[in-house]
Amino acid sequence: MPETKLFKPLDPLLHSELRLAVMSILLDAGSADFVYLKAETGATSGNLSVQLDKLQQAGYIEVSKGFKGKMPQTVCRITDQGRNAFAAYVEALRSYISSDNR
Amino acid sequence: MENNFSAESSLRLITETIERSRRTMAKNSGKPMILWGSLVAATSVVIWALWTKTGTPIWNLLWFAMSALGGFFTYQMNRNREKVPATEISRILGKVWMWFGFFATGFYVLLWAVALIRYSAHMEGIVTVDLTLLLTMMMGLCGAISGAVMNCKPVTVCSVLATALSVIFVLLVPNGAPTQILTFLILGVFALIIPGVILQRKANA
Repeated sequence: MPETKLFKPLDPLLHSELRLAVMSILLDAGSADFVYLKAETGATSGNLSVQLDKLQQAGYIEVSKGFKGKMPQTVCRITDQGRNAFAAYVEALRSYISSDNR
Repeated sequence: MENNFSAESSLRLITETIERSRRTMAKNSGKPMILWGSLVAATSVVIWALWTKTGTPIWNLLWFAMSALGGFFTYQMNRNREKVPATEISRILGKVWMWFGFFATGFYVLLWAVALIRYSAHMEGIVTVDLTLLLTMMMGLCGAISGAVMNCKPVTVCSVLATALSVIFVLLVPNGAPTQILTFLILGVFALIIPGVILQRKANA
């Protein structure tokens, strides 16, 4: 009988380079502003905005807009839902890797 | 590039991003430590020299001038530096050292106030408080907490060693003040400057 491998599904929202990089930073830092995320990921402002919007709509991050002095500031914060989704994603990745190594 | 990378690449991306971000954040914490360490060390030497020469402890008021100067330099540093996020870690560290500043200043002011009250009320007896020892312990504790929060063992180890050295120094110095004040030179160098340099080197590696 052929062996059936059951892989945990990968969250498609996290399985994207930029969104994954953003979530990795926020997981470690808790929160970060738009300028920092842009510098750390090397993304363009437009692309980053789109990806942040997707993460926000999924409830993985919260985005708040305000001012720091006279400069506008957008701060992104990871939510508990985001942390759980990230943990589940890493767990799923591990199942793929351990399966490859068998 | 979207949705087209392997499990290994995903894990590598996560690891690399977190490491890069941590290096950037570490860059943020090294410079203030070097700045404040240098100020603490220099001020302690200046106070020790003036106190020894004049015989009056009034020069301890220079600590307030040092705080103002440090605050000004920190403000300038934050203005000119590249934008680094106010992360949970940096917020915790900021609060730890802010409360150290409040406790140190508050305790000093309180001691003077109580001394004035006792003097005005012609109260008898002498109350002695080893402020240097107390501040040494508090500063070492804050340094060790900072290292633990940053998950940076060298910072924790340096703080613990600096505190131990300082406490031994304070207890061994004959006749106490003003030589005791040099304990802040030890703390400034070992608990702030050296860990700050370590963080900077790690960040620039």
